[in-house]
Amino acid sequence: MMNGKIRTGISGLDRMLHGGLVPHRPYIVSGPPGAGKTVLSMQFLLEGVQGGERCLFVALEEPPNEIKQNMRAFKWVVDEVEILDANSDIRRFEPTPVIEISTEVEPMRMRQVDERIRKTPDFESHEVSVHSLQQLLKTLFIKRRYDRVVIDSMTALKYFCMREFEESLTTQSFMRFLAESKVTSLLTVELPEEGVAPPESFLARGEIRLHRLRDESGIKRFISIEKYKGSSHDEFVYPFEIHSPGIVVQVTETGTAAAA
Amino acid sequence: MDRVSTGVAGLDAMLGGGLIPARPYVVSGPTGAGKTILAMQFLAAGLAHGEAGLMVTLDEPPNEVKANVVAFGWNLDRLKMLDATPDIKAHKRQRSVIDVGTTMDVRDMDQVGEIRQSSQIRAMEVSVHGIQKMLKQEFFQRLERTRERYKRIVVDSLTALKMFTMQGEDSRVMIQSFMRFLSELEATTLIISERLNPKILETEFFLSRGEVRFHKSLDGNVIRRAVSIEKFRGSKFDDRVRPMSISTAGITVDAQGVMAMTGGHLAALGEEYLEQRLGDEVTNVIESVLKMIEDAHRARIAVTDVEHAVSRATLQLQRRNYQKALKAALHARSVVQERLEKARAGPPPPPPSASPPAPGVRR
Repeated sequence: MMNGKIRTGISGLDRMLHGGLVPHRPYIVSGPPGAGKTVLSMQFLLEGVQGGERCLFVALEEPPNEIKQNMRAFKWVVDEVEILDANSDIRRFEPTPVIEISTEVEPMRMRQVDERIRKTPDFESHEVSVHSLQQLLKTLFIKRRYDRVVIDSMTALKYFCMREFEESLTTQSFMRFLAESKVTSLLTVELPEEGVAPPESFLARGEIRLHRLRDESGIKRFISIEKYKGSSHDEFVYPFEIHSPGIVVQVTETGTAAAA
Repeated sequence: MDRVSTGVAGLDAMLGGGLIPARPYVVSGPTGAGKTILAMQFLAAGLAHGEAGLMVTLDEPPNEVKANVVAFGWNLDRLKMLDATPDIKAHKRQRSVIDVGTTMDVRDMDQVGEIRQSSQIRAMEVSVHGIQKMLKQEFFQRLERTRERYKRIVVDSLTALKMFTMQGEDSRVMIQSFMRFLSELEATTLIISERLNPKILETEFFLSRGEVRFHKSLDGNVIRRAVSIEKFRGSKFDDRVRPMSISTAGITVDAQGVMAMTGGHLAALGEEYLEQRLGDEVTNVIESVLKMIEDAHRARIAVTDVEHAVSRATLQLQRRNYQKALKAALHARSVVQERLEKARAGPPPPPPSASPPAPGVRR
């Protein structure tokens, strides 16, 4: 720990953040699909697990069995990370009972995650709304103390779980909830390949943005700190790569940004 | 980990062996880029290995799909076609509208005949729900009949499904649910989708576990075709854009080939933003150097060389050589900083009558 900050699990990123993240706050990790947001978040949780912290991954985009399989490509031991399956079931079109997620689901350790996908039961289906998820997390946070939480992704939460709610207000209140719960949280946000960032970015205490750029030699990845309240940070855009140990940010001593 | 072959050797090589089974993937690209051909090749490869395949067609009626692939000579007789093309819209009130899901039209490719005629009394419409119901029914009927599950499914196309059946914001939830449904079938699924607007984040692109993207550009009067993997969860992949061609053998990808990036949109992904960021960065450094040069002037320190360096940096910036510009600017900054510090530490400059330091001057 450095001046009260916690490490992200990626040393180059910690240097960009001038030591790491100020704990107990929500942060955004944004980037287009396939940029490496989930990988970065998982590394953040693993760093916590290694320090004996309790860590929770809230999966809204992919079923846990796939996340578990995907992480095998890395040389990580993810067994102790807890994962909460917050993927909605297949929607029913007939009037059948809809079970709110808050009444049913418990997080599991990664090691207990089944190899096959959970099937929608025949006569009822789970539906995740932002309200029910918040309730569930609240109960969990009271039961046990989580240090690090990842919401993957905020976009899925907004797209699929806020049907009856006003999006910006609800997002803001959800982030407020995370801040009050005193967990350090990363919220992933999907960006379109071109165009402007969604409003979630303005609400968080900080934003780490991942960029993807194509050129003749393939996909180049870059990382930048767009915003970091309450701390100084590096202004440059740095290149990074995803290897089997995870994300490696190439922060150079001179602070020279890489070529675009 | 087991992989599922796409039927295109070059593409399998790019994917590090093939697709990870039992997940949904998106195939994207402009019209006429080869999306449907890849889908058929994928299904044909499955059939050749005894894996049952199902094609859900929403864009073209089955008879046209059949006619279009005859040229490739693949054996697709045992391919199941699910006809989900909607009828001619009923404009007359007396025709009742029924959902396509209520009539099961799944047949082997070799049974596909003429186009289905729109009924005079009822008009079939397509809904996600209807397709889902039809798919599920067919999936489990087959499981019962043959104790064999469909291993490969193609949905051609989601763009059509969205246009026909979904309006407004609900389409996100519909697609999410539909993709969940496909995942639970545990078949490897290709979803064909046109990318209509890169500025809008479409649900299928971030929910899919991978994206194969086709590119088509005009080089003189020759059409250049290329393919790239935009994302592939849980696997390494070749991240270059590779040239491909379409012949009577289907799609061939040259996994070693190099594609000259001529088309503007190929290179444009995210570039605009980075350019702006780097540009801002250089501008900031140059501004700080200019301030320090002013200080140096006041302190009567010779900085002509720094001034030259800054103008070089500015020139590079204008030429959009950001890296060189940044290097020059950073160099200029360190030189001028050093001189200012030395002057501050050393004896005061000879003429003490020099103007007092302006308020607000830094360092």
